[in-house]
Amino acid sequence: MAIEIKNLYKSYGRLVICQDFNIILEENKITGILGPSGCGKTTLLNIIAGLEEYQRGTIKGLGGKTFSYIFQEDRLLPWSTVKENIRFVLDSIYDDQKAEKIANQYIDMVGLKEYAHYYPKQLSGGMKQRVAIARAFAYPADILLMDEPFKGLDLELKTGLIQSFLKLWKQDKRTVIFVTHDMDEALSFAHYIYILEGKPLRIKEKIRNMRGVVSDRF
Amino acid sequence: MKIFTILKNKKITRITILIFWLAIWEIASLLIGREVYLPSPLNTIKALLALSIRSKFWYSIAMTFVRVVAGFVISCIAGVILGIICGLNRFLYDLLNPLVIAIKSTPVMSVIIIALIWFQSGKVPIFVCFLMCFPIIWTNAVEGIRQVSKELLQMAKVYRVNRSLIIRRIYIPSIGPYLIAGITTALGLGWKVTVAAEVLSNPKFSIGGNLYGAKVYLESAELFAWTSVVIILSFTFEYLFKYIIARIEKY
Repeated sequence: MAIEIKNLYKSYGRLVICQDFNIILEENKITGILGPSGCGKTTLLNIIAGLEEYQRGTIKGLGGKTFSYIFQEDRLLPWSTVKENIRFVLDSIYDDQKAEKIANQYIDMVGLKEYAHYYPKQLSGGMKQRVAIARAFAYPADILLMDEPFKGLDLELKTGLIQSFLKLWKQDKRTVIFVTHDMDEALSFAHYIYILEGKPLRIKEKIRNMRGVVSDRF
Repeated sequence: MKIFTILKNKKITRITILIFWLAIWEIASLLIGREVYLPSPLNTIKALLALSIRSKFWYSIAMTFVRVVAGFVISCIAGVILGIICGLNRFLYDLLNPLVIAIKSTPVMSVIIIALIWFQSGKVPIFVCFLMCFPIIWTNAVEGIRQVSKELLQMAKVYRVNRSLIIRRIYIPSIGPYLIAGITTALGLGWKVTVAAEVLSNPKFSIGGNLYGAKVYLESAELFAWTSVVIILSFTFEYLFKYIIARIEKY
């Protein structure tokens, strides 16, 4: 079942973020959301994740769903190592052995094997972002939300991570919604792209992506 | 060059500094020339040695020790629990805060005298110690809880991390430094106010009672000896606490 948002109304006091906003986010597909900064994209992700309330409207298709979320900031526990940070989201659902195995697998995927026992303060911004990505991928969520996940990473690393991401996605086709500023990034792996504008938030254009890795490979 | 090498060695530096201040004390006492006003360090040590062969000395220390620990432990438990609750709940914070401010602003002497009316002599110091230490620990616990990152809590919520893990991995590491700071301050204060309360309440065995006795008989050397006992105990406690914390942080 797709995520269907209808007549959404959200405001912070007098500031109206969105009014009568409608959007459909396809299930088991990758949807990219583009738009100028401050148009309300992050608020939309937060509403979907259940982190923010909204005043009116209905959202269908979220019942019983679990989420992974790559925030704009890394949001790592500063007093925990790379591995402990990933274990933090796994320990509530897996036994020790399985959590350890999964954590190692994803640390490997983002190329931080040698840094598994480092603390966030010992890592560069890009490396911390990769830990946050590993944490989001390691958690077995139905819906993966990403807020500019590859921001601040160099092109080579970004391409590599997008490759591993697509490989993972092919094995387990989750619903992915990601926010970006970068049209090329969106075209490189999204099935659908919404171009939004605001405020209040509205859809300027919906694109079905026919080119690039997505259509070639699947 | 020579001074440099000496200063490099921390232990030697510390001992040198100690000797320096003892020398100042000795010189001051020689200049004043009246043991009643300022006994010399040597006489203070002599008085301390003379006291230490009496069983009453050790019994008094033990009893004061028990009172400090009792008052301190009660204030830690109450301060941490109520501090966490008030840190999480604005209404309870607003409810308790005026009381804590009132306690903080009350002179220690008023607290002691009021406690003298309420309790029997042995329990007065415990109550005073508790009342003086509690606001410090409570304030620090509240502050610690407030500093817990909302962003990390949101992250844990999205990933449906269970409650006990959130407490162990987010709350406790966040408030730890605040509690350590609060407890260290409260420890030093605890010794001082407990002994002060003992001076006025005069329980059968107590450091404060002995201080008072020494004053009444103008035994200045003894007065200094008892004072040094308090300083040494308070210092040892703080040192021990910091040592334990350093050990825990290692793991």
